[in-house]
Amino acid sequence: MAVPAFKYVQKDCTKANFTLFTSICKGCGLCMEKCPVKCLEWSNELGVYGTPTVIPKDQDSCTGCGTCALVCPDCAITIERKKLK
Amino acid sequence: MALVPNMPQVWRQETKPHKFCPGCGHGLVLKTLGECIDELGIQDRVIFGCDIGCSLLSYDFFNVDTVQTHHGRTTPVLTGIKRARPDRICIAYMGDGGGYAIGSQHLVNAASRNEKITVLLANNCNYGMTGGQMAPTTLPGMKTETSPYGRDVEQTGNPTQGPEMVAAITPENAYVARGTIANLRQLKRMIKKALETQINGVGFSFVEALSACPTNWRTNAKDTWHFVEKEMTQYFKVGEKKVPPEKEEQ
Repeated sequence: MAVPAFKYVQKDCTKANFTLFTSICKGCGLCMEKCPVKCLEWSNELGVYGTPTVIPKDQDSCTGCGTCALVCPDCAITIERKKLK
Repeated sequence: MALVPNMPQVWRQETKPHKFCPGCGHGLVLKTLGECIDELGIQDRVIFGCDIGCSLLSYDFFNVDTVQTHHGRTTPVLTGIKRARPDRICIAYMGDGGGYAIGSQHLVNAASRNEKITVLLANNCNYGMTGGQMAPTTLPGMKTETSPYGRDVEQTGNPTQGPEMVAAITPENAYVARGTIANLRQLKRMIKKALETQINGVGFSFVEALSACPTNWRTNAKDTWHFVEKEMTQYFKVGEKKVPPEKEEQ
């Protein structure tokens, strides 16, 4: 079987690139509760089960710690930290 | 080049999103297991066995040889595979219903014989796939489909303490631990030690992972974390129960 292309949305935050794969996210919300700065909120993009997905509220609040990516059961979140200038 | 999710290499990407419910703990346990297999570099040697219940939905989860059996018999099936092919790494994956209730005799006997396999058990306090009935690990007072007034300890006993039981009957060189999905780095260390115990041919290794079932607990994300972190750990103490002694240097 060929590997499908996963759909995604990206948000360019100050400290990290936030990528959410909408074709994997099931909208369980575990990441929102585990975020240490509570910067995630429901977005208008729908996930694979027709549920809302998550997105950072604004550019500055995400610290790029990667906790949301760690606790995602579906590996739907990827955090790429930016190098400090 | 399309962007790909940051999945463990051993995951089969074409079967994702996987079949578990939103927020299910199986995904987190299997993600941790996948990272351990990647880091140890044993993907071509692993044989993965899944049990009946929600854990059977992992039959196409990994890019490894997989076998599915019923009612806790994953342990004896993989024991047979390990005896026929001692160079393979056998991982039996099951839930608390398969491991402690309908298949406990297999787990107990494999542990007392000190078979050189790894058993990974996800404990979510109920039978998830059949609709959330009471399991041996249901907490006292917890409401399930078959205990609508809460589990009565007088009638149905206390929750099964799996790792404590296995630690009591295994010989000295086994590895027994209980992790939780609320502390994934600790769980990863435990699964890695368990796999290393099998790779070195030391003895039986058993890891129980406290897992979540938001669908049958009827909890939202906040209550799910509260239940896993606060209520389950009152009865199930997280930690290593038995560690093989360090090899003496010669």
